Amino acid sequence: MWWMRAASMKNWQVQGEFKALQASAEVRAVTDSVKDYAIFLLDPDGIVVTWNVGAERLKGYKAPEIIGQSFERFYTEQDQAAGLPRTLLAAAAREGRVEHEGWRVRRDGSRFWADVVINRIEGKGGELIGFTKVTRDLSERRRTEEDLRQSEERLRRMIESVKDYAIFLLDPQGRVSSWNSGAERLKGFTAAEIIGQHFSRFYLPEDLAARKPDRELEIASATGRFEEEGWRLRKDGTRFWASVVLSAVRDGDGKLMGFTKVTRDMTERRRAAEEVVERARQQSAVSSLGLHALQTADLDLVRDRALEVTRETLRIDDVRILSAGEPAPAGSITAVIHAADAQGESGTFAVISDRELNANDTTFLQAVANVVAAAFVRARTEEQLRNAEREAVEERGRTVQAEQALSERDEFISVAAHELRTPLTALQLKLQGLARTGGIERKTDRLGGAVRQTQRLTRLVDRLLDVSRIAQGRVEMRPEAFDFAALVRQVAEDFREPAVQARSPLQLHLPERVLGTWDRLRMEQVLVNLLSNALKYGAGKPIAVTLDALSSTVRLAVADQGIGIAPEDVDRIFGRFQRAASIRNYGGMGLGLYVTRHIVEAHGGIISVVSNPGEGATFVVELPSGPRAVDRERLKARA
Amino acid sequence: MTDPGCKRTVLIVEDDRDTRSALAEVLEDGNYRLLTAENGKAALDELRAAPSPPCLILLDVMMPVMDGREFRLEQEKDPALSKIPVVVLSAHADAVVSANQMGAAGFLKKPVDLGDLLRTVEQFCPKSS
Repeated sequence: MWWMRAASMKNWQVQGEFKALQASAEVRAVTDSVKDYAIFLLDPDGIVVTWNVGAERLKGYKAPEIIGQSFERFYTEQDQAAGLPRTLLAAAAREGRVEHEGWRVRRDGSRFWADVVINRIEGKGGELIGFTKVTRDLSERRRTEEDLRQSEERLRRMIESVKDYAIFLLDPQGRVSSWNSGAERLKGFTAAEIIGQHFSRFYLPEDLAARKPDRELEIASATGRFEEEGWRLRKDGTRFWASVVLSAVRDGDGKLMGFTKVTRDMTERRRAAEEVVERARQQSAVSSLGLHALQTADLDLVRDRALEVTRETLRIDDVRILSAGEPAPAGSITAVIHAADAQGESGTFAVISDRELNANDTTFLQAVANVVAAAFVRARTEEQLRNAEREAVEERGRTVQAEQALSERDEFISVAAHELRTPLTALQLKLQGLARTGGIERKTDRLGGAVRQTQRLTRLVDRLLDVSRIAQGRVEMRPEAFDFAALVRQVAEDFREPAVQARSPLQLHLPERVLGTWDRLRMEQVLVNLLSNALKYGAGKPIAVTLDALSSTVRLAVADQGIGIAPEDVDRIFGRFQRAASIRNYGGMGLGLYVTRHIVEAHGGIISVVSNPGEGATFVVELPSGPRAVDRERLKARA
Repeated sequence: MTDPGCKRTVLIVEDDRDTRSALAEVLEDGNYRLLTAENGKAALDELRAAPSPPCLILLDVMMPVMDGREFRLEQEKDPALSKIPVVVLSAHADAVVSANQMGAAGFLKKPVDLGDLLRTVEQFCPKSS
């Protein structure tokens, strides 16, 4: 229904045209049917002239209430104060049309968001006769838009606030077009720095060389999605292990609008996973080292293997084993090798590394040190066992030596007994014979023989005593000055008859006098021993006795041409109870050369022998000619 | 065992001069005729040079040049000598073993008792009737 207040019309001409307009059934039908739009007329001054159903519904006024009133009341007080209604009308009058969105006020004072279009109405002469005003309530749309805007804002804020994920957009060419705080945090770029730049700057040089960024876009574009884990670069050039999802964004027509990229820093997770692998690797290395240590008795090998395993496993070159008490180098990480016994610390495992070792690494290091410690204990135990075994072997050896010495002594006693029986035979027969026969001459002769045998027995006993004294280091020398050449002549005279018996004439080569200081009786003993041997083994050939006086020494040589001495026997003939010749053929106690050697050495001299088997032997005695103290200690040591 | 042709002759084979002369003295006192040698080789020489074999050989064991055992082997090889009885003189405790091994007719242990010696020699060299 149309309402009209004629009084408000200033220009009846206009009013007439209005009426015509109003009268238009078509217009009325249209305006009345339009419920969603307020459609009404204003006169040139902004007075409401008509009112439709939509207007009533929209603004809350009934036609009689509002017709004739200024349209300004539809505006907020602020807009009225600002002159907005007049400005709009003036603009419409001037431009022919003005559109405005803004708050309007209903009759009940409530507001609604309105889209207002004001059109100028001209008279036939082109003069202003009024305005049509079409007002649409945009509150709903505005609310929807606002909701959408807020929703988008929330999403934006949400995306922006996500700190653990870099979420950003790329345009179809791969240039960054949005950037969230997670991206800033993860990659180090601010939005201002990175927006507009190509996303390839997040890639390693080798990935760029392989055209990886382009391929990823191609895959995402073709399949809608590309997903991977890999190294990416931060602004400062450091790497991080990224989990990346790249998704293509297309509009309703399927046209590529760009890409979303969600990147997550998996470095820590990767490190944790690697740590698990690393720990397993270290445990396996320690087990294999332990096995090696079990199978290897050599401690050095175990130590070398431990160093090698540590170097390989920790990937550190400078690994050392320090001995106990040795100071660790500066900056080294150490693990003490505790051998589990009273001796405690056996050394230290030291690692000198640029990189920081984590808890796993130090645990590993200690485990290696423990294996080495176990090897230490084992080696020490085995060493003790070996020592014990060696001692047992040595003990057995000493027993064998002792048995051998006993056996030699037994043999000596047997030989000595034999030797003693020989003169006893003669002595006994002579004395028993003496008892049976008469005749003074015979008795005298036989008594002389008996005496000779007793002298012989005395010499044997003396020699035994000498050996005993030498063994105990109790031989005393009584040096006196005398002529050695005279002594040789005297002893040779004593041997004249035995030499004839042995058919070995003595040939003497002596200076007139050889003066010096020696123990006369002992030197006589030396001569007797050497001549007895020469006759005994001389095979009935001549024996040469040569004496030379040198500047400070005397040299005596007794050479026979008899059976000689085998090379292998030369060294031992000066030992106690030793003889080179077979005992089956040659008697004797094997003491002569032994005693001789000690007498010579006690005088500071030496005795030696040169011999070829079958060609005889030459014994050479060299003695200092001056007085010389007897070295008892040396005598004892060599006994 | 006795050979009347031996004329109470005894061969003493002994390397020790004193022992040899002591044996010779006491046997001479017992009116035996004596041959002496200082080793086995000399004994063989004596035996082969002698106009008739001795009644008995008193044989020492240990001697230079040729010992008692070697002498016995040589004696066995010579039919002219092998029949002459041998009594071994030994200072060793196992004189009886040595004597058996050497196939001797008897043995005397050193130091030799004069009575034992004379009785033994008498067995092999009876006084000529």
